Amino acid sequence: MSMLQPRPTLGDASPYTFPKARRLQVGGGTVVAIDVPGQPYAAVRLVQPAGGTSEPLDQMGVAALANEALEDGPEGNSSLAPALEQYGAEWVSRVTWDSFVTGVDAPASRIADATALFAEAVRAPALRDDDVIRRRDQLVERFWLEASMASTVAARAIGGQLFTGRYATPLSGGPANLQQLTPEIVREFHAGSVAAVAGTLVVVGDLSGVDLEKIGRTVFGDAQPTPSRSTTAPEGAPGELPRVLVLDRPGSVQSALVLAHRAPARSEIDLPRANGMSDVLGGMFTSRLNMELRERLGYTYGVGCRFDLRRDSGVFFISTQVEGPTTAHSVTASLEQIERLRNEGVTDGELSAVRESNTVGLPVGYSTARSLASALVEAVVHDLPEDHVDQLRAGFERITAEDLHQAARDYLHPSEFVIIVAGDAKEVAGPLEEIGVGPVTVRDPEALWA
Amino acid sequence: MATNGAAGNISQFRLDNGLRVVTAPAATGQVAALNLWYGVGSRHEVPGRTGFAHLFEHLMFQGSGNVAKGEHFDAVERLGGDINASTSTDRTNYYETVPEHALDLVLWLEADRLATLRDGMTQEVLDNQRDVVKNERRQRYDNVPYGTAFERILALGYPEGHPYHHPTIGSMADLDAADLDYVLSFHERHYGPDNLVVTVVSNLEPGDVRDRVERYFGGIPAREVVAEAPDATLEGLIGGPLRETVTEKVPAPAVFLGYRVGNYGSRDFDVMHLASAVLGQGQGSRLYRRLVVERGLASDDGGGAADLLPFRYAPSLMLVSMIAREGVSGDELEAAILEEVQGLADGISEEELERARAVLERDHLQSISTPGGLADALGSCTQLFDDPELVHTWPQRWSEISTDEVVAAAKRLLGEDNLLVVRFEPEAKTGSTPVEA
Repeated sequence: MSMLQPRPTLGDASPYTFPKARRLQVGGGTVVAIDVPGQPYAAVRLVQPAGGTSEPLDQMGVAALANEALEDGPEGNSSLAPALEQYGAEWVSRVTWDSFVTGVDAPASRIADATALFAEAVRAPALRDDDVIRRRDQLVERFWLEASMASTVAARAIGGQLFTGRYATPLSGGPANLQQLTPEIVREFHAGSVAAVAGTLVVVGDLSGVDLEKIGRTVFGDAQPTPSRSTTAPEGAPGELPRVLVLDRPGSVQSALVLAHRAPARSEIDLPRANGMSDVLGGMFTSRLNMELRERLGYTYGVGCRFDLRRDSGVFFISTQVEGPTTAHSVTASLEQIERLRNEGVTDGELSAVRESNTVGLPVGYSTARSLASALVEAVVHDLPEDHVDQLRAGFERITAEDLHQAARDYLHPSEFVIIVAGDAKEVAGPLEEIGVGPVTVRDPEALWA
Repeated sequence: MATNGAAGNISQFRLDNGLRVVTAPAATGQVAALNLWYGVGSRHEVPGRTGFAHLFEHLMFQGSGNVAKGEHFDAVERLGGDINASTSTDRTNYYETVPEHALDLVLWLEADRLATLRDGMTQEVLDNQRDVVKNERRQRYDNVPYGTAFERILALGYPEGHPYHHPTIGSMADLDAADLDYVLSFHERHYGPDNLVVTVVSNLEPGDVRDRVERYFGGIPAREVVAEAPDATLEGLIGGPLRETVTEKVPAPAVFLGYRVGNYGSRDFDVMHLASAVLGQGQGSRLYRRLVVERGLASDDGGGAADLLPFRYAPSLMLVSMIAREGVSGDELEAAILEEVQGLADGISEEELERARAVLERDHLQSISTPGGLADALGSCTQLFDDPELVHTWPQRWSEISTDEVVAAAKRLLGEDNLLVVRFEPEAKTGSTPVEA
């Protein structure tokens, strides 16, 4: 007998349906919950619209700072996390362009206690002067610490290269803007956009014995229903396209490379087509960019691409870090892969990979409380229907090779790329000039934010 | 043979070729998490061959007798699966979380590369992955501030020639020296079913899982010669303070401290794990309260300044690290951290210990709350300790440790004679060369 069996034939996958969420109106807010029996760790998230785009332009960074300052808790002096730690719970929060999300991960058995603490921290934080100033100064210093990473330098420059207005400045506001934020500004922002707005509460975990209505009352209190919001498309940044921006990092042994252009808003894009096409180009290990730059050329540890989609606009970008001397060729090799995809479309194998990974693969993606909660949060932020995951799945089931080919032509625009390189200018600027993809400008990365 | 654990419905089997199989139920349906822990890591590397276990891990994805280069990743990714691998000092693990109906396929893929990897290996493949790994090293170590701290800490904490003296990523020179013959012999010496734990977390019956694993792995013979690991015995304290100061392009001074503590799995390790949590895990920890909030000396790390580096076959290290705030010198920060470390020997309160237990338990429960995380933890406890039930009983160990025991261990282990220090100082704006003190 051979020591090995023949390759097994894959049977049919069980059809997947996203778990049905329970919805409750409680006071001014909505609770959306998924019961996962046997999942002892619960995810609780409060979603409010006070993200970066809601900030006045003279208060950029206030959402990020307010979000951070909540961690000082109702008693101030960084007292929230230690209080949560006693329950085995962890504070979870983040600000995106379109949302202000706070919450806790907690053992399902302690969810009521942890949520009560969390609710007080969100609705009635101390926001003492000393605490806010400490958090602000730490944010500013962290901005510079992070700027010592090549990949961060390149990623932070995307907004300013593609947009004017709020998106031109990083979500955190950047050091100069942050320094202008006073504790009064933070308290005012919090009172108007966080404390007073009920929002939507997402709860996922083993909910046996959990009183969702009571939790909702605790979190919403007498806060008002979330106001509806409108969006206005942002203006683009001026300048010739395509172009190359080198952010000089003398002595850098690798270059962090980003190729970015604008994309439609989340509500305007055909998501299965766009994401499916992006998967073929750079969304998977076996994608074309990775197979070329990593597995054939050996230039990088990894390369990927994706859409960053917001309510009013979007960005498509490729990002990687490559060995310094291979920088210019990495750019042309990436552009060649894009041209090939636009000209020739996808193979049958790529089509089936896109279709299957986004349909039969769903049980893997949604096997944790956190990932289920993320899908619910996304639905709230983008006003998606309750069955949006199932709708997406249906879209992928229908997708054709021609759809993906058309998506490459619709959504990939090499002539609109800004190519950002955080690397040693002395080494990379010359070869980047020689490949002739566009004018090359060299800048000191620190000068972008000083 | 099967044993059923009461706590988490864990089942354990051993095949005739020595392969150990562990199963446990998943909290969500339609998914199967497969995790393989091979008992080989960088501790098996000899001088001149550092980085090899990890380079080898890359080669395991490059094709085998019946699988073409790239096909393994492709087969799993097209199922929406989660796939990767990692290498540490003590083990190499490979994992795939897939829709349940694909479990047989991933078992077959894993069995194929275990049995026939050598048929798929070529010089071209080796050269390509060597370049990839060198770029991984640049990305994680050489091109990031403080990126070389870890390898400097190991070099100080373990003597020249000791199997834990070098980092898993290895050196550029040794990576360059890797040759095809060595690749083939490495597979032969370390990759056998008798050196492997296969864990499956799913809603399939344990007996069914066992039968499937046997179907694909049962015909693969155990290794003829079992590789021996270099001797990792190490007695006593570090004999410090040992110190290295690095001046290079970093944004702020940084302080890294290391203390030699017990092997992973020993009671000493658990005691010091609690000590590290009291000291530097969570925003209720001493270092966060004192140095970040009250004194404003250290950059806000969210409460992650101390932890243990777990080594199963040699003394582990307790690591403490912080970055200085603007205007704070490395000397000032180091003195302030040392004051807090040494303060543990003066006593800790019951509340502090209770918080530390809660933090460790929380992190532990979170790590096993996903199918892949649970499979990984079960594989770990079985490969390293031959006891998968530890996944559920480990928190009990922490509850049995008292404040007195933590304080006694702190007195014994947190003195200067057991200390190593790696300091990073920003170079002057005019530019200077690295200096060692």
